[in-house]
Amino acid sequence: MDEPELLLDSNIRLWVVLPIVFITFLVGVIRHYVSILLQSDKKLTLEQVSDSQVLIRSRILRENGKYIPKQSFLMRKFYFNNQEDGFLKNTKRKVVPPSPMTDPSMLTDMMKGNVTNVLPMILIGGWINWTFSGFVTTKVPFPLTLRFKPMLQQGIELLSLDASWVSSASWYFLNVFGLRSMYSLILGQDNGADQSRIMQEQMSGAAIAMPADTNKAFKAEWEALELTDHQWALEGVEEELMSRELDLDGMFSKELPTGIF
Amino acid sequence: GHYCLDINVLIIVFTEMRDKLRKWREDNHRNSEQIVDVGEELINEHASKLGDDIWIIYEQVMIAALDCSRDDLAWTCLQELKKQFPGSQRVKRLAGMRLEALEKYEDASKQYDSILQDDPTNTAARKRKISILKAQGKSAEAIRELNEYLEQFVGDQEAWHELSELYINEHDYGKAAFCLEELMMTNPHNHLYCEQYAEVKYTQGGLENLELSRKYFAQALKLNNGNMRALFGLYMSASHIAASPKVNATVKKANVKYAAWATNQINRAYQVTKTNQLPVEELLLRSS
Repeated sequence: MDEPELLLDSNIRLWVVLPIVFITFLVGVIRHYVSILLQSDKKLTLEQVSDSQVLIRSRILRENGKYIPKQSFLMRKFYFNNQEDGFLKNTKRKVVPPSPMTDPSMLTDMMKGNVTNVLPMILIGGWINWTFSGFVTTKVPFPLTLRFKPMLQQGIELLSLDASWVSSASWYFLNVFGLRSMYSLILGQDNGADQSRIMQEQMSGAAIAMPADTNKAFKAEWEALELTDHQWALEGVEEELMSRELDLDGMFSKELPTGIF
Repeated sequence: GHYCLDINVLIIVFTEMRDKLRKWREDNHRNSEQIVDVGEELINEHASKLGDDIWIIYEQVMIAALDCSRDDLAWTCLQELKKQFPGSQRVKRLAGMRLEALEKYEDASKQYDSILQDDPTNTAARKRKISILKAQGKSAEAIRELNEYLEQFVGDQEAWHELSELYINEHDYGKAAFCLEELMMTNPHNHLYCEQYAEVKYTQGGLENLELSRKYFAQALKLNNGNMRALFGLYMSASHIAASPKVNATVKKANVKYAAWATNQINRAYQVTKTNQLPVEELLLRSS
């Protein structure tokens, strides 16, 4: 049997639901502009740029080496991998692992990241929880289990209340993630207000920000290239080409474009 | 009534011009005369409506103006950009390009050197210095500098292509082929690189190179059925191999077959054109 639906005071809608949306949105926009101001330019060294391009070239050789003649492939493989002076085998770079302790710029970056993203979220979440407490704000459209009650119904001590009814703090967090698409519309892609994207980046950033370990990258590339053989893609190209007539539709039939428009 | 119509037409024309410029910018077209025509009018008549787009349009129009020897227009654009972005390296490079256009190569070179002092990774400045050597006809030096550049920036495709052209001019076909191989690997679906590679191989000559050339002409055709040069190349390389006294009977037979197929396709292509030209012939008949 469905419980009778709670009827919320419409003042809640006017003075709680809408203001929270408004506040979240504004804070997001402010965060975006602050992150632009605080942006620090990452200067890559010449060597880093160069090395990353070399790694790309080696990868391309592995993937697309089949489009060049066998001799050419072998010549390049030799250049990279040969025992005596192969580039990947013999180039050693000085590696400074970028732990937050030793690399001051990483430390400031991390701090800036935290200040602009996590801190406001916590502060404002707490403030909203304090200001708009003691009542239920909204109902989520799907049923939740009782386990969610203490988390989503902070400040409402009602044992029998359906867990789908949530407090203002929950509504705030819903907004933080939900307004993402609004931010993209208004601030364009790649905006600094996009909380979930930033958190994703922080997680994957930890994995990607290992460019400093070039030596490991070289070794991995060396191994991969050793294993690569040349399978020439052009082996039967004439037969493939001549298996059907050429598609000559539209040849020479287009008028030359005249004028500017 | 009448006024509204005129303003609407002006607005439509303005947006079309701006969009055309953007399209040319994105496609990297070098139709400099058109860009100068459209861009000059846009800048003179509609500057206020362009908003922040105007800066990139200034850059685009300036480069086009240099191509057309319109130093007056180039100077105007440069001044606007200097005012808006003082100390910018991108603007400094444009100033250098203008000096190049005026053939003041020493001054241009100094300009680029100052950019490189601030930012040694600035590839644009290094490439402009190489262009200066090329413009001065110092091919050997240009080739040497470009090789050094490519050692550090091995992924710069524009540079590989430039180097292949320089080598072809010096008749160093082996090295040109190397450059084109780099391009084929990074752009495996580009039929033009396959065709150029095939042409270099054909020029190098010798049975092995002719075989390779025939294969790569075929590949170019496979990627783009409409590449007539590749079709002719296929015919010529196959015929050459078939005519060579050094090949055995099987190889000769295969190449004769390839050449025949190519001839067939060439005839088909020209049949198609013949039917398309019919109206023109009728026109000519009528007017006489």
